[in-house]
Amino acid sequence: MAIDCEDQELLDGFLAETTELLEKLDDDLISLEKSPEDADLMNRIFRSIHTVKGASSFLGFDMLVKVTHKTEDVLNRLRKVELTLTPEIMDVILEAVDLVKTLVADIKGGDIVERDLEGTIAKLIPFLSENAVEATVLAPVFAPKEEKAAAPAQAPAEAAAAEAQAAPATPQEAKAEAKSEPAPSQQVAPAPQPKPQPVKEPQKAPAKGGGEDLADNSTVRVDVKRLDDLMNQVGELVLERNRMIQLHSDYQAGLSPADFGDDFGKLSKRLNFVTSELQMQVLKMRMLPVEKVFKKFPRIVRNLARDLGKEVDLVIYGEETELDRSVVDEIGDPLIHLIRNALDHGLETPEQRLAAGKDRTGTVVLSAAHEGNQIVISIKDNGRGIDPDKIAKKALDKGLVTDEQVAAMGTREILDLIFLPGFSTKEQTTDLSGRGVGMDVVRTNIRKLNGIIEIKNEVGQGSEFILKLPLTLAIIQSLLVEVEKEVYSIPLASVIETMRVSKKEFHMIGGQEVLKLRDSVLPLLRLQQTFGCQEVYTDRDTCYVVIVGVAEKRIGLIVTRLLGQQEVAIKSLGKFLSNLPGIGGSTIMGDGRVALIVDPIGLVGGAA
Amino acid sequence: METALAKVKSEEYGGELIQLVSFNLEKEEYGINVLMVREIIRMLNITRVPNTPHYVEGVINLRGKVIPIINLRKKFDLMDAEYDKRTRIMVMEVVGELMGFIVDEVSEVIRISEKEIQPPPPVVSSGIEQECMAGVINQAERLLVLLDLEKMFSADERRLFSNVA
Repeated sequence: MAIDCEDQELLDGFLAETTELLEKLDDDLISLEKSPEDADLMNRIFRSIHTVKGASSFLGFDMLVKVTHKTEDVLNRLRKVELTLTPEIMDVILEAVDLVKTLVADIKGGDIVERDLEGTIAKLIPFLSENAVEATVLAPVFAPKEEKAAAPAQAPAEAAAAEAQAAPATPQEAKAEAKSEPAPSQQVAPAPQPKPQPVKEPQKAPAKGGGEDLADNSTVRVDVKRLDDLMNQVGELVLERNRMIQLHSDYQAGLSPADFGDDFGKLSKRLNFVTSELQMQVLKMRMLPVEKVFKKFPRIVRNLARDLGKEVDLVIYGEETELDRSVVDEIGDPLIHLIRNALDHGLETPEQRLAAGKDRTGTVVLSAAHEGNQIVISIKDNGRGIDPDKIAKKALDKGLVTDEQVAAMGTREILDLIFLPGFSTKEQTTDLSGRGVGMDVVRTNIRKLNGIIEIKNEVGQGSEFILKLPLTLAIIQSLLVEVEKEVYSIPLASVIETMRVSKKEFHMIGGQEVLKLRDSVLPLLRLQQTFGCQEVYTDRDTCYVVIVGVAEKRIGLIVTRLLGQQEVAIKSLGKFLSNLPGIGGSTIMGDGRVALIVDPIGLVGGAA
Repeated sequence: METALAKVKSEEYGGELIQLVSFNLEKEEYGINVLMVREIIRMLNITRVPNTPHYVEGVINLRGKVIPIINLRKKFDLMDAEYDKRTRIMVMEVVGELMGFIVDEVSEVIRISEKEIQPPPPVVSSGIEQECMAGVINQAERLLVLLDLEKMFSADERRLFSNVA
C-alpha cells in the first residue's frame, strides 16, 4: 500500500520528529532500567510514545497507533507504579519500540507493508491486566490494587490523542497539543485514587529535539553561532582580497618594489591567518559528536548481556568528542564488532568471574578523546583477556599460519592473527560471533579511514582495543617526501616515526629488505622501486625511512629526503586513475604542482 | 549544457555543418568535434603517476582540479618527440571526466558538412585503433582523420586503465 498523504511537508515533519524521538527513547529506556525511580525520565518516555501515537493517528497510520497505544498503556501503568519495571517488561517494551521503528522506516521508505503486530501486542497485553500485575511484579512494595486507575488515565490520554487528531495544521501543532494534554490527564487520573504515595509531578521536560541531529544524513543542522562565525571570517577574507587588489594597483601606480614586498609579506600573513580560521570553521561545521554512534550501544550491550547471561556495566566517556561526519558514519560497524567481542569473548559469566576473584559484574569502558590531530577510541573490558597460546593454536588448526611462522612470532604478532579473515576462536557459530569475519571487518574499516588499531592485553585481566582515527578525511596533515626528485605526500596520521639510516644497516631476510629497529624487525619498501621512479641519486649511502602503520601493521618506506610537514587538501584523481595501487589521491602544492598522496593501506597490503 | 550538446549532435548527424578542431600529430592532421573540447592550454608541469599505462603521462592541476594527461603520440604508437612551444594540451570531456591530450600542435577550427565525412579506410597501418576513427575527411588539399575519443575509452580500455599494476 502506497502512502497517500496529501501534504508531503507534514509527512516529512512527522518522520523527522518521530525518528528523533525514537532515537532518544532507546537511550532513555536503558537509563530507566538502571534507575527505575527516576520520575522525570519515566515521564519523558511516556511523553515520547504519546507524541508518536498522537501524530501517527493524526496522519492515519493505524498500525503505528495500535502498537504505540498499547505500549503507552503499559508505560502508563509503570509510571503510576502499578507495575514494577522488570527486565521482562523492558524486553517487551523494547520489542515494541523496535516494531515502531520498523513501521516508521516503512513509512519513510514510502510503502506501508502489512506487518505482524499481534505478536508484540499480545506480549504487551498481559501487563495490562490485574492478574498479570500480581504475577509479574516481583517486589510489590506498592500494593497494586488500583488497577482500575489505568482506565481513567487511559481515557484522557485517548482524548488527548483525539485532540491531536483533530488538530488541523502541522504536526508541530499536533505535537504541542498532545504535549499539553497529558499534563492535565496526569493530574486528573491520580485524583480518584486513594493512593498514599506521592503523586508524581508532571514536570515539563523541555523538548529535547532542538540541538540534536536527525538520523538521516542528507541535511545538517548547524549551530547559528558557528554560521555567524563563518560569515565573519568570510567578511575578513573579502577585506583581505580588497587589500590585495589595492596593493596591486598601488604597485602599478609606482609603489617601490621594496615597499611592495613589505606590504605583500604582511598581506600573506593575514591571509594565511584568515584562511586557516576559515578552514577550521568549515571543518567544525562538519563535526559531529561521537555520541551519535555511542548512544546506540547501551541498548546493544543490554540485549547482548541478557542473551549471553552475563552481567555488564557499560561505562561511556567522552561522548561529546567531535569528529568529521564521514568518520562518524564509518566507525559504527567496527565498534559494534569490538563491543560484541568484548562481551562475547572477553567477559566471563558471573560464576566464572566470582571463581576468578573478580566482581560479578563485568565492565566495558568505551571512551573517546582527542589526541593531537587524531581521535582515540578505546574499548576496554576487564574480562579474561586474550590468550596468545590459544590464538596461535586456533590459527594453526585453521591452517592460517604454519608452525614455523608461529615460532617466529612475538606476542604482538600472535595477537595480530585475530585480524586474519576466517579467524575465530569460537567452536560454534552463534548469531553473535564465530563466523570469523568480525575482526577482519574491523580492520578493513579502520584502514579505509587511515586509522591505526592497537591491542593492549593482559591475560586474566582484560583487553583493550585502541582505535586511532584521523579527525577528518578532506584535509589531512601530511609528510612531504622526495623520492628521486619526485614529491610524494604521506598522510601523517599513519606515520609513526622517521629516521635517517645508512644503507649498510639494511638486511635481507627471505628476499625482503628489513631494518632492525630497536627490538623488532621492520620490513622495508623502496618507494623508488614501487613507483618506478628513475634513479637520480646513485651515490648516496644514507637515506630516510618513514615508518608507517596501518591498523596493526608496520612498514618502513625508503625515501630520498624528507621535505616537511604540510596540511593538504585531498583531490581525487578521477575515475580513470582511481584504483592505482599505493596511490590514494593527489593534492596541489603551493607552487601549483600536483603531488600524489601515498596510500599506506595499499602499500602495506602489497608488502605483506 | 548536456541537453544542448545532445541537440547539436543530433543535428549534426542530420547532415548539418559541424565544427572540428584540427590538430597535428607526426605531421598528420586530425580532427575532433569542437563540442568535446573544453579548452586548449600550453604545456604545464606534469606529475608522473606510477603504475599506469605508458601513454598516461601523468596529472596536472587545472585550476584546482586534478586531471589525467594522455600523450596521443604514445597512445597511437607514434615516435616520441620533444615538447616544443607549439605543443598543446587539449582538455576534453570524455565519458563524463575531464582529460588532457597532448598533441603536437593545434591548428584551427574548421567547418565541414556531415556529408564530407567518409568511412575510415578498411586498413589502417598506423597504431590508431580502427574503433576510435570516426571517419576520414578528404578535402582538396588535405586529409583529416576524425577521431572519436569516447570510443577510445571503451569499457574494456577503461578497466585496463585503472587496474594496470
